[in-house]
Amino acid sequence: MNDTTRYVIIGNGAAGNEAALHLRQRDPDSRIIMVSAGKLLFLNRYRFPEVLDGVFDWREFLVNPPEYYIKQRIELRRYTWVNHIDPHNRTLEMRHKEKVGYDKLLVASGAGGYLPEYLGEYAPLLHDFNSLRNAMEIRSALPASGGKVLILGGDIKGLDLAHTLVRGGREVIVVASEHLFWPHQIPREESGRYIDALERVGIEVILDHKIASIEKGAKGMRARRVTLDNNHELNADVVMAFYGLMPSLGFMHGAGVDIERGLLVNPQLQTGNEHIWAAGDVCQIWSPEENHYRFYYGWKNVKMMGRIAAINMTGGDEAVDTFKEDRLFINEQDEIDSTFWEYE
Amino acid sequence: MTSVTQPVYLEEKLEDIRESGRLIYRSKALPTWCPGCGYYAIVEAMTDAMNRLGILSEDTVVVSGIGCASRFPFFVDTYGFHTLHGRVLPVATGVKVANEALNVIGVGGDGDGFAIGGGHIPHAARRNVDITYVLFDNGIYGLTKGQTSPTSVTGFETGTSPYQNQDNPLNPLLMLLSYGASWVGQAYAGNPHHLASMLEQAIAHRGFSYLHVLSPCVTFDKTSKTYRNLGMAIRDLPDQHDNRDLMAAMIEARHQETPALGLYYKEERPTLGDGLKTIVERSRNKE
Amino acid sequence: MNQQLPFSTDIQIAICGSAGDGTIATGDILKRAMARAGYNVIAFDLYPPEIRGFGKCIARTRITSEQVYALKPRSDVLISLNDAYAIPHVHEVDDFGAVIYDDTPIAAVQEGEHISGHLAPAHLPYAIPFREISERTTSGAKSRNMVAVGYLAGLYGIPREVFHDIIQSKFKTKPAALTESILTAFDAGFVEGVATFHLGFNVPSEAPQSDEKDDVIMMSGNDAVVRGCLDAGIKTFFGYPITPATSIMEKLAVEMPRQGNSMVQTEDEISAIAAAIGAGFTGTRSATATSGPGLALMTEMMGLATIAEVPVVVFVSQRGGPSTGMPTKTEQSDLNLAVYGATGDGQRIVLAPTNVEGCYWCAGKAFEMAERYQCPVIVLLDLYLSNRYEAVVLSRINPFDQDCNTGVPKHQTDKPYRRFEITDDWLSPRAIPGEKGLQHVITGLEHNEFGRPNDQADVHAQMSHKRHQKLHAALTHPDITICKRFGDTGQVQIGLLGWGSSFGEILEALFKAQGEGITCAAMKVVMLSPFPTSEVIAFMDDCDAVLVPELNYQGQFANLVGAMVGRSVHRFTRVIGTPLHVDDILVEVRRLCDDPTAPPTPVNPATTQEKLT
Repeated sequence: MNDTTRYVIIGNGAAGNEAALHLRQRDPDSRIIMVSAGKLLFLNRYRFPEVLDGVFDWREFLVNPPEYYIKQRIELRRYTWVNHIDPHNRTLEMRHKEKVGYDKLLVASGAGGYLPEYLGEYAPLLHDFNSLRNAMEIRSALPASGGKVLILGGDIKGLDLAHTLVRGGREVIVVASEHLFWPHQIPREESGRYIDALERVGIEVILDHKIASIEKGAKGMRARRVTLDNNHELNADVVMAFYGLMPSLGFMHGAGVDIERGLLVNPQLQTGNEHIWAAGDVCQIWSPEENHYRFYYGWKNVKMMGRIAAINMTGGDEAVDTFKEDRLFINEQDEIDSTFWEYE
Repeated sequence: MTSVTQPVYLEEKLEDIRESGRLIYRSKALPTWCPGCGYYAIVEAMTDAMNRLGILSEDTVVVSGIGCASRFPFFVDTYGFHTLHGRVLPVATGVKVANEALNVIGVGGDGDGFAIGGGHIPHAARRNVDITYVLFDNGIYGLTKGQTSPTSVTGFETGTSPYQNQDNPLNPLLMLLSYGASWVGQAYAGNPHHLASMLEQAIAHRGFSYLHVLSPCVTFDKTSKTYRNLGMAIRDLPDQHDNRDLMAAMIEARHQETPALGLYYKEERPTLGDGLKTIVERSRNKE
Repeated sequence: MNQQLPFSTDIQIAICGSAGDGTIATGDILKRAMARAGYNVIAFDLYPPEIRGFGKCIARTRITSEQVYALKPRSDVLISLNDAYAIPHVHEVDDFGAVIYDDTPIAAVQEGEHISGHLAPAHLPYAIPFREISERTTSGAKSRNMVAVGYLAGLYGIPREVFHDIIQSKFKTKPAALTESILTAFDAGFVEGVATFHLGFNVPSEAPQSDEKDDVIMMSGNDAVVRGCLDAGIKTFFGYPITPATSIMEKLAVEMPRQGNSMVQTEDEISAIAAAIGAGFTGTRSATATSGPGLALMTEMMGLATIAEVPVVVFVSQRGGPSTGMPTKTEQSDLNLAVYGATGDGQRIVLAPTNVEGCYWCAGKAFEMAERYQCPVIVLLDLYLSNRYEAVVLSRINPFDQDCNTGVPKHQTDKPYRRFEITDDWLSPRAIPGEKGLQHVITGLEHNEFGRPNDQADVHAQMSHKRHQKLHAALTHPDITICKRFGDTGQVQIGLLGWGSSFGEILEALFKAQGEGITCAAMKVVMLSPFPTSEVIAFMDDCDAVLVPELNYQGQFANLVGAMVGRSVHRFTRVIGTPLHVDDILVEVRRLCDDPTAPPTPVNPATTQEKLT
């Protein structure tokens, strides 16, 4: 083996990109390889709602221009999937039958939308909001103006989108579940003022009803018909599910690291394997104060994790501040807001 | 062969020639060859053969290369193309392919044909292009005033082999036979009647006919292939020679020091023109 | 969700693989289909190694809504049919261009051997299991290439019907089951392509429609030469195989017998031109085709045709030289040989077409000129022009004069026939074998009017004069472009003077320079000999500086121009084995614009070297 260290990062999001930047700064001669499933470069997903306003050129959403990766000597392997990891030989076995070796591995593969099991059968009738393509599909499913969107679950990502849609003149109904305001855990007695804040901007919230069925709309009606457990029918152009996030970790099984819901790491973000770290939505960090592993969401937290992982992967010793408290609040515009939404 | 017993009178001879009609094949140009050159006999034999065959001057093209022999086209009243050194056969092939109706006769010397032009002979022979190639073999380069040629004998002294030629001469007849020429014969300028008869047969042959004509260079070769030496060496092919037997022809052709005159070999097979017609038919059937 | 783009269609697609992968066949289907769809198409296939059967090949096709003149240095799409071959070419894909590849290798690959690890950050990856789809929908993996081209069509929204038409006609002689299987593979790829979200910004707008659609033919320069030969009534062709001219001979071997005519493969180039000259002597149209090494062998015979005043047409497709040089690389370095390569004062006509349509016209006109002016005519192409494909619209009416002979007038036949008679237009009446009473001998020796050898000073002077004077009329030969000006009219900052295949790149550079506000004009010179001196001088008078870009080391055309017009020009020469780069010419134009007295750049500065492995 030659002297230069090979850092492999799985994931091309906020955590992975932040880690790559710091790895390059701290180890200028190393090789940095980013493996990701997406076709495109790192896009700012917070701006995807702009697609609904007619911004189609995804280059608008690029966080870093292509030249950045050339300048930083970050090798990208996009649109590739890791089948599994061989921790003994320190290789990623790729779906396209290539083996990619690493000295130090950072798992920053993020998380996908979680869909409760009882909604699984309706997945083909639901619109996702994870990619640019999804956003474009939603735009084409909606009429040129107006239109009606049903948001199921109601996590904060969904509520953020609900605000954008309402501002764009769309009608939005949130069919709330226990995931309302996720990942914030709002006691029932406190939730009223936040729900009021939603209704003040024009978002209708339906509480305490489960989804009984989702069907295609009848001819001449809107494209989707949702029936609640009280037989009440809701018609909408687009139905989306927002039930929180589920770490994307399938490929880590058999890698000899501990997984609960996410990949378990110490506050230094190292897994049980000395060559493997994790950062971002994928990891669950040990909190000595709370005595359990917990997630930290949001752009700012995720970036912080990428930076700390990079420091520790290059011989540093820094820990995530696990005291951190995230909260929901009503902001100056009289709308609900979350510390998770903060980003520079 | 009969010895000369009766005197020949010039007047009577000229009268015979005029009456024969073969003068129409002679051009008005006077040959530029040395007095006594064997090539005069070849011109006379050629006009005689053409006359006997009754072919038309305007339907005949004589193609030559470069050398004493290649001046030949200027002395017959046909269409003529005096080309480049060694390129008799490709040009003649082009003429024939372009117009099958023409009688095409290639002429050239031993240097033209077997030195610089040697690479073309096998291909003209194997394709069986329907032309007659008359090779005038004097065993020397005459036009450049006496240098060794590919048919010069070993030991021959010339301007380019002052210490005697050390190379073996080629055996043109053996080469032509092995190349697959469909008509191979040999004649001698000193025997014009036989020469004319051989020319007549060669031109009449359908396919590639090769006539090797031994002819002395009276100016630059005083020792080797002189009338005297050649006259003593030549013989006729044996009466029993079967000109359908390629092996027999090759065995006879080996005796270069006692060259035999006559038709060595002859076969009938499709010509280049026939092959091209077949290709035309096949292309149309495949359309 | 079609985005309306401010620019019209301009997409260049490169397909890279081995010949065994069907690379060239795929490119062929693509370019023919796009031409059928109504786009302008220009294509050039590269075979870096010498033996096509085993090596890498790249089929490049540029599809545009407007007329373009050259390929772009970078492609918008790269389809990899073989990653080992395609990886070195990934860098030739433009920013935000697509790389389409198979992500289901049949066996494990070593790290770095899969193309997905080689894309630049600005490239868009499109992985599709070509092999699996081919195996699933047809009897095997052989139709991978058709899956790929189907995918491309689906992804870019090109109607599948045009591809079906082209595939059906291309395979019409093959068993129906094979064609069916190819169409199935194409469709399977097409469906995948339609289902794939297109991330690129360069998408085709609707093809320009024209009434002439059915007469648009995709042809290579060599195809066009063949078509020109046939339309001009060629009767015999004699040739010897040599890259990159061989395909002329091969296509004539197919077509000529169908018209009852003859193609003969000779034993060498000397024999080929000798036979063509022999055939020319008989009054029929004949030609040969070769490359530089063959032309070198033919020069002696060309001299014979000059002095004996026999028509013959020689197509020369240049390649890298000297000697055997670079047989599969393009170069414009046989100009000297074509124009000057002769024994004695052997002037001949030399035509150098600049595009595929020009190949057709020059080929046909070469026969007219050879016959009319009784001389050899060289049509000078090169590998790039011979092998490049363009969509060409050909007239349904044969444009070529089938008989340009200067015959012997009847009333003269009683007088002694002078084959080389000095006449007012310097053209002598030419009799051909078979004509009674006009027998004559033509010769490579200097001769008098009767054709008799004669080396007297006045005869040689008179005949030399005649042989040169008669060619001047070629400069006004009907219906052929001898030279032509493009770009800005009137006085300009930069004049680009060019010839042959590289004129396309020159024109593209011209348009770019104009876009930057530089006043610029270009002139192509098609007839290199005799030289259109007065037209070129008039052009140069209009230019503050004249730049002559060409693909050879010496600046052979620049030398010719200098000798003919007696003025200096700025040379721009490259010997890269590939077409000139438009942007390199543009850089030189800008430089010259800033400083008209700038010294020339060195040949092949390191920055322009193409990395071809």
